[in-house]
Amino acid sequence: MSRLFVQLGAEGFLLGVLETLYMTVISTAVAYLIGLPVGVLLCITDKDGLRPMPWLNRVVGFFVNILRSIPFIILIVALIPVARAVVGTSIGNGAMIFMLTVAAAPYVARMVESSLKEVDRGVVEAARSMGAGTFAIIRKVYLPEAKPSLIVGAVISTVTVLGYSAMAGTIAGGGLGAIAVTQARPSGAEDVIWLCVVLIVIIVQVIQELGTLLARKTDRRLRSGPKRASGSKKIQNKI
Amino acid sequence: MIELKHITKEYSSGEGRTLALDDVSLTVRDGEIFGIIGLSGAGKSTLVRCINLLERPTHGQVFIDGEELTAIGRKRLLLLRRNIGMIFQSFNLLEQRTAEGNIRFPLEIAGVKRRAAEARARELLELVGLSEKAESYPSQLSGGQKQRVAIARALATGPKYLLCDEATSALDPATTDSILQLLRRINRELGVTIVVITHEMRVVERVCDRVAVLDSSKIAEEGEVSEVFSFPQSEIAKQLIIPELIRSAEGGGGKKLRLVFRGESADRPIISKLAIECGVAVDILYADTKRIDGKAFGHMVISLPEDGEEKVKKFLEGQKVSFKEEI
Ligand SMILES: Nc1ncnc2c1ncn2[C@@H]1O[C@H](COP(=O)(O)OP(=O)(O)O)[C@@H](O)[C@H]1O
Ligand SMILES: [Mg+2]
Repeated sequence: MSRLFVQLGAEGFLLGVLETLYMTVISTAVAYLIGLPVGVLLCITDKDGLRPMPWLNRVVGFFVNILRSIPFIILIVALIPVARAVVGTSIGNGAMIFMLTVAAAPYVARMVESSLKEVDRGVVEAARSMGAGTFAIIRKVYLPEAKPSLIVGAVISTVTVLGYSAMAGTIAGGGLGAIAVTQARPSGAEDVIWLCVVLIVIIVQVIQELGTLLARKTDRRLRSGPKRASGSKKIQNKI
Repeated sequence: MIELKHITKEYSSGEGRTLALDDVSLTVRDGEIFGIIGLSGAGKSTLVRCINLLERPTHGQVFIDGEELTAIGRKRLLLLRRNIGMIFQSFNLLEQRTAEGNIRFPLEIAGVKRRAAEARARELLELVGLSEKAESYPSQLSGGQKQRVAIARALATGPKYLLCDEATSALDPATTDSILQLLRRINRELGVTIVVITHEMRVVERVCDRVAVLDSSKIAEEGEVSEVFSFPQSEIAKQLIIPELIRSAEGGGGKKLRLVFRGESADRPIISKLAIECGVAVDILYADTKRIDGKAFGHMVISLPEDGEEKVKKFLEGQKVSFKEEI
């Protein structure tokens, strides 16, 4: 056992786990606050959408794509001055949450967009025939009908943010990533690195299992016999 | 009353252009069941979607009870749509809501209070005979049951009109019949004017009062079902309504007559009487009897002997049987 391992102890690792969870959850939540409306916008302004606005759709899509195509490590570096301006610091958990959110929001937007586009066009059409307006259709058709798929998307997004948070630990903030990269690696404490890896794997597994369970439980399409198998398989494949 | 005036709809997708409707005009009278029949791709769905402006016609006007839908604002349009229910081939139920929740949906849109909406939903479930399925999700219902829920949902806001786009096309014949019966009842008992889009003759036969035949974006003919079914004028109507008759009358020499029996003439043994009274033997090339609107209704193609033509025609006139020389 390395000195660092002893030094950290159960408390040190627990703190790492909690910090990782804290940053992941907050960042994902804020990313959804931004990404969900943007995803909805992308879906309904599509040329086949509820309110086609090709021009707006292209502009928003363009910015989303740009942010999505920058590798996270580079994005962090680029965001350091921005974080200093917005959060007041370029290190620590606050700065890291800011960076994670910026990276995750466009990802979430695309995730939401693709979930909403899975909603049967016929159902949307039926709602239109009843005199439902755009807002009512978003709130009462798109979001509830896409709920299982949105939950699956949220799981994938959370896991992605978790991965980012470990990466971001190299530059700012704490958590398991920071422990492994900034503390353990220089001192060659391999046991610490490995435990961090194991802990991250466990966290990912737990999030995924819980999310899948929740998605399946909320999905009313899976209640009946023959559809069950294919329905849950679809969800499994996505994860 | 639904009035479509010179409706043209053109789709332009990418490089290609499709003229889905070409100067279509028609009127659906209050209280009737109006059928629109045509082959796949004829423009039926486009036509019915122009009625509630789910699709905006490129040219032409839509009037509902004298109000021009094509001229009003979006708010007013959304309001008027509550007066025009619609059902679909694929049912289009909300999968994440129960049967009752689906029926409550249009009421929520209309701002009806939860309690009142629940009561109304129960009432409608009873109307369509699905009271015990209130808490079932669409995935737990059969096709016929789903369509019943869809009908109940379409009627929730008490519309005056109901549009049905291939509503029975995904159902087996027995289920189709039960849905058609339900539509009839809704028409008779609730006084709902119904527009039925279909490619199936059976459907028009069973429920429609009047019918328009749509052929490649245009109305080929229109009229009372019994009229159009007795003597279809257009090629397309003949193909749709009496395809076997057309085939049976093809080829072979000699003079042929097409007879149409309606009402009581369909129940009398006219051909054997003809043989006895006129002393001529006729060949029956085709014969078919149906019931439309409770009345017997038959088509027959006979080939005539050279010399008996006049005698036969006179006899048929005496018997009040309609006939035509060209098939
Ligand atoms: N949204 C659309 N975009 C382009 N073409 C369309 C669209 N909807 C229908 N069409 C075309 O219009 C024609 C009529 O279609 P439709 O009204 O669906 O026919 P039907 O319901 O009689 O089968 C078809 O040639 C179809 O390809
Ligand atoms: Mg169609």
